[in-house]
Amino acid sequence: MTALAALEGMDRLTSGEALVAQNVAFAIMAITMVVAALRMVTTRNVVHAALYLVVVLAGVAGQFLLLGAEFVGVTQVMVYIGAIVVLFLFGIMLTKGSFGEDDGVSSEKRLMAGLVGLLVFGVMAAALVDSFEDAEVAREAPSTTAEVSDSIFSTYIVPFEAVSVLLLAALIGAIVVARKD
Amino acid sequence: MAVDLLTLAFQRPHIDWHGIAPELVLLGVGALITLVDIVFLEKARPITAALAGLGLLATAVPLLTLAADGTDRVMFDGAYVVDEFSLVMKAIFLLSAYVVVLLSTNYVAEGDYWENEYYGLLLASVMGMVMMASARDLVSIFVALELLSIPAYLMVAWRKRDLRSNEAGLKYYLMGVFASAVMLYGMSLLYGVSGSTMLDDIGTAVAAAGSSVPVVTMAIVFIVAGFAFKVSAVPFHTWAPDVYEGAPTPVTAFLAVASKAAGFVALLVLVLVAFPSASDVWEPLVWILAAASMTVGNMVALRQTNVVRLMAYSGIAQTGFMIAPLAVAGHGGGSADQALSAVVTYLAIYAAMNLGAFAVIIVLARKTGSAETTSFAGAFHYAPGLTVAMTIFLFSLAGIPPLGGWFAKFEVFRVLATAGEPWGYVLAAVGAVNSVIALYYYAALARRMWADDAPDGDHAPVPMTPSLASALGICGIVTLAFGVAPQLVARFTDVTLAALGG
Repeated sequence: MTALAALEGMDRLTSGEALVAQNVAFAIMAITMVVAALRMVTTRNVVHAALYLVVVLAGVAGQFLLLGAEFVGVTQVMVYIGAIVVLFLFGIMLTKGSFGEDDGVSSEKRLMAGLVGLLVFGVMAAALVDSFEDAEVAREAPSTTAEVSDSIFSTYIVPFEAVSVLLLAALIGAIVVARKD
Repeated sequence: MAVDLLTLAFQRPHIDWHGIAPELVLLGVGALITLVDIVFLEKARPITAALAGLGLLATAVPLLTLAADGTDRVMFDGAYVVDEFSLVMKAIFLLSAYVVVLLSTNYVAEGDYWENEYYGLLLASVMGMVMMASARDLVSIFVALELLSIPAYLMVAWRKRDLRSNEAGLKYYLMGVFASAVMLYGMSLLYGVSGSTMLDDIGTAVAAAGSSVPVVTMAIVFIVAGFAFKVSAVPFHTWAPDVYEGAPTPVTAFLAVASKAAGFVALLVLVLVAFPSASDVWEPLVWILAAASMTVGNMVALRQTNVVRLMAYSGIAQTGFMIAPLAVAGHGGGSADQALSAVVTYLAIYAAMNLGAFAVIIVLARKTGSAETTSFAGAFHYAPGLTVAMTIFLFSLAGIPPLGGWFAKFEVFRVLATAGEPWGYVLAAVGAVNSVIALYYYAALARRMWADDAPDGDHAPVPMTPSLASALGICGIVTLAFGVAPQLVARFTDVTLAALGG
């Protein structure tokens, strides 16, 4: 899918449409992300996998920035790279005696898993291309941070408040389950 | 640009305080329990259960005033709606949660589990459910789903020193987040198609897109699959037996009734409000889920030797019945309304009879210390009242008149048979065969309790507590009343969704 989109980007580039620089940037990031994602699932080193994940997530943040969604882009960096991957790394270091090479993953179901993955990929790619092939991102009216905050505090105020209850409940529950007693 | 930002004045949203009063009361009670826990620590333990129970009942007061008021309230551009359907579902959630608090009171205190936190999490989860009943946009639905699920994942693992409980918690969590992720992906596709998170707008966009758009089909399949996990429909049921067995039994009752009902609420709202025009996608899907859940659930239940696992598989089979009316809900002419009230009726009655059955299991397990079917043998000799109650609940689950379960099943069959679709008749036939199979294992358990002898000749009476007795009383009365006078429940559950123009 990403490769297709990249090709499409090249297509626009040659046909002289605007936003050439953006398309080039998109293609570079997309290719990097695909390579990093593949390496992430194929590497045998858990720490390396987490670091490849950083590359993928940074790529996502970059794509958001390209689309003019700076709030989501920055949030992506802060939450995913800044918090979640760091948590992964802490988790790996605190729980495993010897982190590093891990070849204990059973490979007998690898073929089946690969087939299912390919099938799902094919179906999703076909469906997405079918629907969004000609869709263009509006060049005007990128959603600004001010608009995001306005909608959080008007339309989405109930889920916003609910999230705070959710976080508190998760925190309390996690402490109870994790602590020694 | 700076000028633009300045002129873009923030519109203070209109908040209908009466409309969200139930959520606010619940939030207040939850905050109070957390605060009492922080201030009084262990000294608060004796009162938190009572506080949680009273809080749930207090939350029902604004529900009554809203019901008396009777107008549909639409808030936040249609993201949050208070209509008949949401009020009835909120009442079911609150009453089920109240019974769960009654069931938990002694269980949690005697097991020396973390008590204050337990009730805090329970209330948080109930709040998610109450929100779910009103949520009419994707963001609210997803947040409500997580708010009701995440405390439940933790409560399943509450028996920390038992490996099976740990395993159950981890299993439920991993499967749950996987299902959430799949569903969220489906939701993002819907947003891509419609450009809006409001279910009304999505309904319009899906109708405009026509029925053969692959992305819409994929989104519907993903979303239905995500909620099929929540309601434990086959083939997304594999978590249920292990989780039910490993979790503290009151939490199991909570999952089997309230959490399942919340999944159904979201499924109903999404299918009937957001995808009414795509019924050729979800009708066959629901049909398969219903037929498979009934058949697989019952077949496997026949072989169970543990009562909680038996209840898990019976719950899977009951899910099949509950979801069945949706398989014929998509061809206009009031079919959606009929299916809606059939499902709500089933949920209300199922809540009473299933909680009742779990109450008996908890009481009996207090004496026997085990939930194997063999340890329930001969219960009639030392606990005749409990045995009668269990028989009522089991036969009600099987659908024998004049118990509540009869009316629930009758409504489902009525909807299937009056739809005038060949597939509706086939599904009704599958349901009829399954009712007979279900009667076999329910009756086998009842027979064991009546006729067999107690395993070790131990005829000491079962220790009973006021809270367990009142839980049993509430469930028993509701089950009987709904069976003898079905018009009672029908009056409450003949609901309409505001969005369906009812």
